[in-house]
Amino acid sequence: MSIFLEREGITRRQFFKGAGLLTITLVAGGIFAKIGIDIFKASDKYIAQRVQGLYDLDEKMALRRSHENPEVLQLYQDFLSPGSVSPVSEKAHHLLHTRYGKETAVMMDELKHHAA
Amino acid sequence: MSDLKGKVLKHDQQTRVMHWVHLLCFLLLGLTGIGFYWKVALIDNIFGGPANASLVHRWAAVLFTAGPAIYILLNFERFSKFFDTITSFSKDDFGWLKVMGGYLPFIKADHVPPQDKYNAGQKILGIMIIVGCLLIILTGFPMWLWRHSVPAVFLSLCYNVHFWTAIIMILLVGGHFFLAAIHPKSRVEFASMMIDGYIDAEVTAHHNEKWFKELRKAP
Repeated sequence: MSIFLEREGITRRQFFKGAGLLTITLVAGGIFAKIGIDIFKASDKYIAQRVQGLYDLDEKMALRRSHENPEVLQLYQDFLSPGSVSPVSEKAHHLLHTRYGKETAVMMDELKHHAA
Repeated sequence: MSDLKGKVLKHDQQTRVMHWVHLLCFLLLGLTGIGFYWKVALIDNIFGGPANASLVHRWAAVLFTAGPAIYILLNFERFSKFFDTITSFSKDDFGWLKVMGGYLPFIKADHVPPQDKYNAGQKILGIMIIVGCLLIILTGFPMWLWRHSVPAVFLSLCYNVHFWTAIIMILLVGGHFFLAAIHPKSRVEFASMMIDGYIDAEVTAHHNEKWFKELRKAP
């Protein structure tokens, strides 16, 4: 039985077509990748600057911790836990812990009941 | 048809392996893509949920890209011949397109012009597959690797191009499968690409007359 095989080697025209497509793909892919990597780096740089900005702002604040805020301490002393500073007092629990969605109605009932 | 005896080696081993790799990756990519684009829980769950389906999609995409790339680098001559064939259109190709190679029942084809290793329809399919793969690869990787960095409008463009190219590719591959594996006039092609690479000389002499003449001249 005869077996027919293709001739080995390629013509100049075939070489230029194959090499041309490969070159165009590599160059286009390279440019595309370069643009993407640059955008990625710029994005990383922006995030780092933003984080640094937030830390810098925070460091400049006179009061940086809520539990050291005199107004919050006064609120506990006068209203939420009269005579002391108790963040887990019953009144603080009911007034400062909220609920969401379908539980809102339940919370409103509880508040009304508590006020009464 | 003549009573020509013998076989033609149409697709060599590396070509067949690359075709298999690309086919399996394409099936995985198409299936997972459909799964998480239309939120088909059944498909997602085959892969262990949407997150895993997404991982399978991404790594199948790496193989989908690397497979042909490695093949081209190892088989540059074969690739160049293939690319030259599918981008060379002669009078015979346009003649083939006029009668659609006699494949469509409502177009009368008294004479189908002689064809190269690939007929005009296969040439157009080859070009569309190359362009489609490049588009899908170039839009897919930014969606994976740069999604948090690139502008939203660019990402949206990538999603749209990726999606519509994938839809066209799935339809093309469906048509390719029908003609290569089911249609009675051309299903002999199936074994040559999927199994041993050989096809009857008689079939080649009839369907790829111009190429077969060259093969007969080859030493």
